[in-house]
Amino acid sequence: MSDKTKNTGKSKLLKRRMRRRDFIKGGIAGSALLAGSGIFAPRIVRADTASITIGSFQDNAMVPFHEYFCKQFTVETGIAVNYNETNYDTWYQNCKNDGLNKTGAYDIYVMDDNWVPEFAAGKIVQSLDKLGLKVNPDILPAGLEMGLWPPKSGARMKDFANATPELYSLVIIDDVEILYYNKDFFPTAPVTWDDIYNVAKTTKAPDMYGWSPRGVKGNPIMMTYLPLLNSYGGNFVNPDWTPGFAGPEGVGALSRLFSFIPYMPDGVAEYDTDQEVQLMLEGKCTALTEYTGLAQRVDDPSSSKVVGKIYMAATPKQVKSGPAIGTFIAGIASGAKNPQGAVQFLEWFTSSATQLEFARKYGGAAVTGTALNDPEAVQKHRWLPAIADAVNNSVEKPRTPDEPKMEDILGTALNEALVEAIAQKSNYDAIAQKHLSDAADQITAYLKQQGGYF
Amino acid sequence: MTITTNIVVEREDRVQRLRAASVPYLLLIPAVVALAAISLYPTIDGIRASLHKFRYGLDMGFAGGDNYTAVYSDPVFWQAIATTAWFVALVVSIETLLGLLLALLVARELRFAGLIRVALILPMTIAPVVVGVIWRLLYASDIGVVDPLFQALGLGAPHVLAHPLSAFLGLVAVDVWEWTPLLFLIILAGLQSMPQDPIEAARVDGASGLQTFFHHTLPLLRPVLLVAVVLRTIDAVGTFDQIFVLTKGGPGTSTQLISIYAYNTAFLFNQYGRAMAMLIGVLAVLIFLMLAAVRLMRRTSEAIE
Repeated sequence: MSDKTKNTGKSKLLKRRMRRRDFIKGGIAGSALLAGSGIFAPRIVRADTASITIGSFQDNAMVPFHEYFCKQFTVETGIAVNYNETNYDTWYQNCKNDGLNKTGAYDIYVMDDNWVPEFAAGKIVQSLDKLGLKVNPDILPAGLEMGLWPPKSGARMKDFANATPELYSLVIIDDVEILYYNKDFFPTAPVTWDDIYNVAKTTKAPDMYGWSPRGVKGNPIMMTYLPLLNSYGGNFVNPDWTPGFAGPEGVGALSRLFSFIPYMPDGVAEYDTDQEVQLMLEGKCTALTEYTGLAQRVDDPSSSKVVGKIYMAATPKQVKSGPAIGTFIAGIASGAKNPQGAVQFLEWFTSSATQLEFARKYGGAAVTGTALNDPEAVQKHRWLPAIADAVNNSVEKPRTPDEPKMEDILGTALNEALVEAIAQKSNYDAIAQKHLSDAADQITAYLKQQGGYF
Repeated sequence: MTITTNIVVEREDRVQRLRAASVPYLLLIPAVVALAAISLYPTIDGIRASLHKFRYGLDMGFAGGDNYTAVYSDPVFWQAIATTAWFVALVVSIETLLGLLLALLVARELRFAGLIRVALILPMTIAPVVVGVIWRLLYASDIGVVDPLFQALGLGAPHVLAHPLSAFLGLVAVDVWEWTPLLFLIILAGLQSMPQDPIEAARVDGASGLQTFFHHTLPLLRPVLLVAVVLRTIDAVGTFDQIFVLTKGGPGTSTQLISIYAYNTAFLFNQYGRAMAMLIGVLAVLIFLMLAAVRLMRRTSEAIE
């Protein structure tokens, strides 16, 4: 028999097999087989207790976390840690979608603390209290309270006015704004803004600037203004949700910022973190306020011309010190496949022993008091006491999902005011008052429109 | 018997005609399904979202026209619309003019015309985000080259991105640099496919270069110009990447186009419903403008014919 005949015979056989009746018979038999095999049986999702998956946004402060501590956790517990990170905006959307849809792609979300109101109220993350997480009492209270929803103190949304605060996320890095100053210009740490101003007046631009702020609209200029506002006794919002920055305190704080204009770079309205920090690393500014991540860079000879010269302290006070807090905080996903593994990881990472290692080995912004004040750690990393001091004095931003819009309104007004003040080089109080009052009116109108505040 | 046969033949004819007529529609089905999935569904879902209230990342339910009321009473929205209108009007007119001039130049048999064409097209091939980064480095007041250049010319450093007007004009310059090649290409194609007889006849009749251009070339080019302007207008309204990288809408709100404001409203302020209400409004205006442009194009074509 030739090959051709063989093939013809085979196709005849196939044709015969594929008659409708046979197809139906086969279908029934196949279905029974599949049903028996359990492929279409209801799926039982099993918790994978051998691993956890952590997602985060990219940040240099997270490097020790994923390069060392995640691996160390595996060594100590046998639970593997999968770590994924992406840029800030993408991660915010990714984890929100994951949590809202309970996809279960992640067990732990590393978040910015201002995501907590939305993520807790929207049940994107689980209550750590309900999961039985044991909080280390050594964690500094100001950092710990960033994970509570509703907030323990301060303004509360009406929907949550009588709710008992629950812990929805746990601080893992106590990032906070601190003052960086050049020891060549300040033999001792400046205590007030007047101290910084007095030194600024002696500087000559463009070789040396007295102050280097972030001036870009929105969050950047807010991070410049908030330590000033808090130190002058103002508030972003008062406990009744009325804006607390358009009074004499807020105007005084902004006028103080404007008083540095002759001693700041000309293009400061377009300055963001990279430009602001570069001036300090090049030894071209006497002082600035910035988050703790810069501490690691000032002594790195590959990027700094001021190795050993930059010291750190809590942000200056006028009435009081009031740095803005911006912790890295971790929540357990609503659809986490291994919530108990995630609890175990968070308890382990925030334990006093692990935090001590974080502070000693990396000079990281540890979350426990003992780590930040540990003599051995402090000897190696001189910024740690400044972090502890700043966290203890820190002021949180309004705890509401509408905070980004409020920040955008005020941050835009501040940027407009700065541009106007740079152009006029005088009349600072009037400029400050006009723009702050406008921003206050806009925020009040927005909150009224949103409802649930007044 | 004959009657029966005729009826059968007629019926078969009808069936065949029906089959032939339905084939194009059947062939269109995959395209329609794809279009509905990627274009129609998101639009309908967008309209649905614009009628809902979102809070805590959750859909809180039907909100009627609240989002539209909130958006249309928001002064920042109208500011963004005005900025967008100015931006689009400026970039489209400059790009059209420059594209036309370049196309007229390159359409002639110049030496190295091919090389010039490639060089002119190059900016368009770069991803908009990369364009933003390149220009951010050029404009930056600390490490950029624009400030030192002005200073070398004896002028003060402009600090392009630090002032509202210069930032806005700086963004217009970036857009013109990137998208003039598109207009150039479309107009060049129009010029090269244009009938040459009327133009040659005009030349024989002694018409000057300018007279030939205004009385023959430009009228013949009008349909192509309209297409180019319409396409570019739609694209310019959605400009986002370069602005996001360069200014994020600042200083103040001076470069905040509607695309940036809608993005912030959706993804920063978590007001999806409001963002959709903004964009639905913009979409309606754009559709109206496009329909008007298409009608104008038809009339122009008819007039030329």
